This record gives sequence, C-alpha cells and structure tokens, in this order.
Amino acid sequence: MDKINDRQKLIRSILYWGLPVLAVLLIAFGWVMFSGQHPELMPTPAEVWERLIKTFTKPIAKTSLVGHAWASLRRVLLALFVAWAFGISFGILIGWNKKARAFFGSIFEVIRPIPPIAWIPIIIMWFGIGEFPKILLVFIGTFVPLVINTSTGIEMVDKINIDVGKIFGGNNRQILKDIVIPTALPSIFAGIRTSVSSGWTTVLAAEMLGAKEGLGSLVTKGWQGSDLALVLVSVITIAIIGAILSVILQKLEKVVCPWND
Amino acid sequence: MERLSKRLEIKDVSKTFFGDKGYFTAIEHVSLDVYDGEFLVVLGPGRCGKSVLLNIVSGLEKQTEGKIIYNGKEWSGMNPEIGMVFQKLALMPFKTVIENVELSLKFRGINKKERRDVARHYIDLVGLKGFEDYYPKQLSGGMQQRVGIARAYAADPKLLIMDEPFGKLDAQTRYQMQEDLLKIWEKEKRTIIFVTNNIEEACYLGDRIVLLSDCPARVKEEYKIDIPRPRDMVSREFLDLRTKISDNTDLSI
Amino acid sequence: MNEDNRPVKVQVKNLTKRFGDLLVLDDMSFDIKKGEFVCVVGPTGCGKTTFLNCLTRIHMPSEGDLYIDGVPADPRKHNISFVFQEPSALPWMTVEKNIAYGLEIKKLPKNEIDKRVNQILDLMGLQEFRNAYPGELSVSAEQRIIIGRSFAMRPDLLLMDEPYGQMDVKMRFYLEDEVIRLWKELGSTVVFITHNIEEAVYLAEKVLILSNKPAKIKEEVVIDLPRPRDITDPKFIEYRNYITDKIKWW
Repeated sequence: MDKINDRQKLIRSILYWGLPVLAVLLIAFGWVMFSGQHPELMPTPAEVWERLIKTFTKPIAKTSLVGHAWASLRRVLLALFVAWAFGISFGILIGWNKKARAFFGSIFEVIRPIPPIAWIPIIIMWFGIGEFPKILLVFIGTFVPLVINTSTGIEMVDKINIDVGKIFGGNNRQILKDIVIPTALPSIFAGIRTSVSSGWTTVLAAEMLGAKEGLGSLVTKGWQGSDLALVLVSVITIAIIGAILSVILQKLEKVVCPWND
Repeated sequence: MERLSKRLEIKDVSKTFFGDKGYFTAIEHVSLDVYDGEFLVVLGPGRCGKSVLLNIVSGLEKQTEGKIIYNGKEWSGMNPEIGMVFQKLALMPFKTVIENVELSLKFRGINKKERRDVARHYIDLVGLKGFEDYYPKQLSGGMQQRVGIARAYAADPKLLIMDEPFGKLDAQTRYQMQEDLLKIWEKEKRTIIFVTNNIEEACYLGDRIVLLSDCPARVKEEYKIDIPRPRDMVSREFLDLRTKISDNTDLSI
Repeated sequence: MNEDNRPVKVQVKNLTKRFGDLLVLDDMSFDIKKGEFVCVVGPTGCGKTTFLNCLTRIHMPSEGDLYIDGVPADPRKHNISFVFQEPSALPWMTVEKNIAYGLEIKKLPKNEIDKRVNQILDLMGLQEFRNAYPGELSVSAEQRIIIGRSFAMRPDLLLMDEPYGQMDVKMRFYLEDEVIRLWKELGSTVVFITHNIEEAVYLAEKVLILSNKPAKIKEEVVIDLPRPRDITDPKFIEYRNYITDKIKWW
C-alpha cells in the first residue's frame, strides 16, 4: 500500500507543478492564435517584444521604459509613506479612543465608499495636473484601507488581553504599545497590503489622465496612437511590478510578524 | 486557621448585569474569607458566577453590592498585589516565553537585565528551562499554561488567582499539572484562590473548598480538607470526600 | 465471567500508519464483538488522533485495515457514526430535526424515523426540548443531541472521541449513565476514546490500552464488574490503578 501512496504522491506533485505551467502555455497559445487571425486587434508576442526593445532605443518623452516605471513607482512610494504614517496612526486613534471614534467615525464612514478615481475632477480643479495632485490622489486611495484595517484590528483585540495588561499593572499607554498594537499587527499588515495594491492601481488611473512620464501615460499614448504593442508592453510591466510588490510584502510580513506563521 | 490573618474578605457581594433583554444575577450575597498562605479552592458547577467573582476581586469588574476588604482595608479598582492565571491563557502570541513572563516587570519599568533574571527564575520554577525563546504557539497546552503560571508568579503577587487554569487540558496532562502546581506552591508559597468545576481537582489541591451553587452563585458549603499531601486520589477518605461534595453539588443540565 | 458468545462485528487487522519515515501506529490488531462497549486509553500524545482518523478514513492506513462483518469498511456500505469532543449540532434545525437528519439522508420511511426519534427523545429525557434550537440549550445539551443523533442511526460502529472531555464531574456521571442506557437499549457497538481512566473503567466492557508512540495495543483489559458500577468499590479502584500504572507518564 505504501508504494501506491508514494506513486500517488508523485503524480500529485507533478500535477500541481504542471497545472500552472499548462495555464500559462494555454494563454500564450491563445495569444498567438488570436493575434495570427486578427492582427488589427492584437499584436503578436514577437511584435510586443520588438516594441519593448524600442522603448529603450527610442525613448518616449525622452524616458526609457525603466524611467517610466520608476516615475510611477516613485509617486506610489511617496504617497504610501505619507499614508502609512498618517493612516496607521489615525486608525490606532479611532480604534483605541472611543471619543475619537465618535468624532471622526461618522465622517470617515461617509468618505470611505467614494472610489479614489471619483476625486480626480475635484483634485484637478483645485491643484491642476502637476506632480502633487497625482500623489494626493494615490494618498487618498491608500489612506482609506489603512485606516479601516488598523482600526478594526485594534477594536477586535480580545478584552482578555487588555485585562492581562491591567492585572499586570500596565497603564493605558503601555497596554496600547505592548499588547494592543502588536495584537493588531496582522490586520495592520493586511491594510498595508491592500494599500499597496490600491495605490498601484490609483497611480495608473491618475497618470492616464495627463502625465508626461509614468506607465499610465504610456498606456494612454499607445491607445491614442493606436500602438497596441506599446499598450501591451506597459500593461505587462504594470502586472510584473504589482506582483513583485506583493511578493516583497509577503516576505516583509514574515520578518515583522514571525509568530504569525 | 484562627491564628492566621485574613488576606482577603469578600463581604456580601452581589453582581447583577443589566442588558437589553432585562437583567441577570450572576452572584448573590457571597461572603468568604481568604487566609494568608492558604490554598483555597472555589468549586462551582455552573457556567456563571465564578469568573465574575474573580474579576471583582481583582478589580476588573465592579460589584453591584457588597465590599471587598484586602488586608483589612476596603478596596476597589485594580490591586497591584493580585496576580492572575487565566483559563484562556491570554499569552501574547507575538512575545516569546520570556517576554510574556517578564510583562509585569516591564510595565513596572525594571531594567532589562534584572527582569530577565527574575523571569528566568520563574521559567525554571515551572520547568520550562530551555524554552525561553519559543513562541507560545510552539508549545503544548500544558506548557503554555506553565508560562501563564510563571507570568503570574513573576509579578510577585501576594494573592494569586487561578481561574480554571487546567480546564482545557486532557485528564492526564491535568494530573501532571496539579502535581507540579503543588510542588511550585510548596517552594514559593503564595495565597492562592483556585477556581475549578472539577471536584477531584478541588479535593486534590485545596486546604479548603468553598462550594458554590449554580446560577446565581451563592456559597453553599465549606469543606476543610485535612488529608495530608501528596493525596492519593483513590484512597478511601479521598473518594468519600469526593462523593460527599458531589452529592451536594447542583447538576446543571 | 459469562461466556461471551457474541459474534465479532469489527476487526482491526495489522493497522499501521506511517507519515514519511515516522511510524505512528504500529501493527495494531483487535476484535470488537457485536454490541460491545470498548474504551481506548493511552498516554497523552500517543497517536490516538491518528488512530481515530484511520478508523474514520480521514487517513488511509499504510498497512492493514478495518473490517466490518468480515469485509473492508466502506462508507457507502457501512454505517459508522462519530461523536467528537466539540459538539456540532446543526444550528438551524430543532433538536428533533437534528436527530432525524441522518435518518432522512438514509431515506428511511417516515414512520420509522418518527419511531426512532421518539425512542431517543424518551431515553434521553429530551421530549420537552424537541422543538428547541441547539443555540437555546447548553453545551452539554448540544452534545447530547449529537449523541442521540448517532445512536438513532443504529450504526454498525459508533466512535466517540472524548465526548465529555470538558464537562464537570457531576454532569459527566449523568451523561455516562445515559450513554450506558442508550447502548444497552439499542445494542450498539461502541468505541469510546478517553484520557480519563476512571471514565474508561466506569463505561467499558473491555479497555484497550495503547502504548506510547508509536502506538501499539499494549494490553486488553476486560472489566468484569456489575453495573451500575461504584467508583469507590475496591475492585473498581484496582482496575483503575492497574490501568493508570500502564500508561502513567507524568
């Protein structure tokens, strides 16, 4: 029976290793077929590859693909750092302090469901289309999930953990620092993860509406110039950077919350 | 017993909770004394009353009626001389064993070296030497409860409250923990209030047992146990005591 | 003791389980007679969970197997019921519906279902709660519903894994008497796993003692005591001490 088990195990491991590869191959195959039949709708993989090389040899707006990617990334990171600092502190404040929650909570509930893109007209009218309004828009898009996750994480801390703090002589500040915030850390981290992905989508939307640099502006440029290969190059770059960011965060979480395995 | 001083007096304490659906009385006119250095077991069959009583003594909750007198003085609010071991453990998952144990010392602002020394002493006492840097999750249920005991001891309490600490352990691990708890207690005497719903455990551990009724909790009877330790759980006198208490216990179906 | 002429109902033959190189169950063999009440005890961490999981087919054994009426156990053909430590009544069904649930799945005729449900409710004194929902009852009552449901199935084998683990002693005694009543009335074949040796001696016709990891059948002890049993009876204590000595690790 053991032999059967071993063989089953082997088959299973091949299966689960092979299925994702198969999925990628199917998509690639579909792409080749579709682009072969409808070249006006879809460039072939080879054309996209050529277009990719061209973004380096003939930079767009004097900037290579890497430069555009960095422009987007820089905006996101700037906004994220500010949002992390304010969003997490604000989340802790309204999660821990009942009065603060009563005061800010209702305002926040109203602002919360507004998608970040809906702010675009207001922001353009107030601040124009420079660098600041784009970063502001990303900030708005990332601030909200951070506050929600942090404050829920803090509110959900089991009462008994706070009782432990009181029994062992902790004052409010010590209980918050040593018990409540670390207990909420996994949910705070969930907020950070959401903020990164939502920041990355928001920045592209912001750039599509008028920017010289950035992956979003490349998409718009390709679209307006009917240069589908360029659109695809940008989209693939966007996807790859998004995936890398989420992998980095996963690793980071293991370092910050080693107990949460 | 008369010569011993009273560490704690619970005087006619009642607690009623008021909610949307009306009110609910958890404890009713409970009075009992706890003497210095004794191992007092509070035995309650039902779900209600026991934890509430402990929370009132420790200051986590406020009684509706009655008084708590500690060392001869009326007391309300948190009492720094009381330590607690919880059934639900409530260990911090993000702290290692030693960080959990030193929690109260850290709150008191004692420097790291000193509090590590104290914490190590109690970790040794509960038999967890070598596990200082483990996270609670990496330990078995019995070991986790040992961390809880070490944490309570490290706060150097004069009165140690244990709220069904072995309630979630299997029968065998429980026997082992009971034996070890008495060994720890012999080495470092504290006044202990130990709450349980297990009659055998109560008879094995206590100098005295206070039996509570089912909801609302009232004091039903007090038993003083003169069987010398270590007690044999299948000796005649032990089983007789157990049967006597069991017959007097409410069945809460 | 009386000659036991009951036919063998369940056979476990050479049951072995390995996880990779780790041997957890080592060549376990034993028989259970039809209508027998068997308790399984062993030291903490001896592999009881794996043992149970092999009997319930959550894990497949590496070697050996479980036979019911002489053929390998098959969930489609045989009826094995379980009661776990944590009660798991369906919260959206009344007590009566919960007990009838398994019977309805088996597509038994309506009058047979009614008959069995009533019998169980009578035996357990749950008639007045028949229309209550599990959430309205205590944890112990919820566990009794599960036990009633399992007995109502008239299973080929009923496996109980420490169903009274977290109850206070008085309640445990009450429920132990109740399970004996059900078992006698319905003639079920029961395997009852527990850490509590007193409970095992109180309930069992036969106690299987497991050794420490890897689990083996260390000994089979037949408990030859009349019922209702008295926990202070010197003979009872003798059995209890004997079994305790066999597994004591603390």
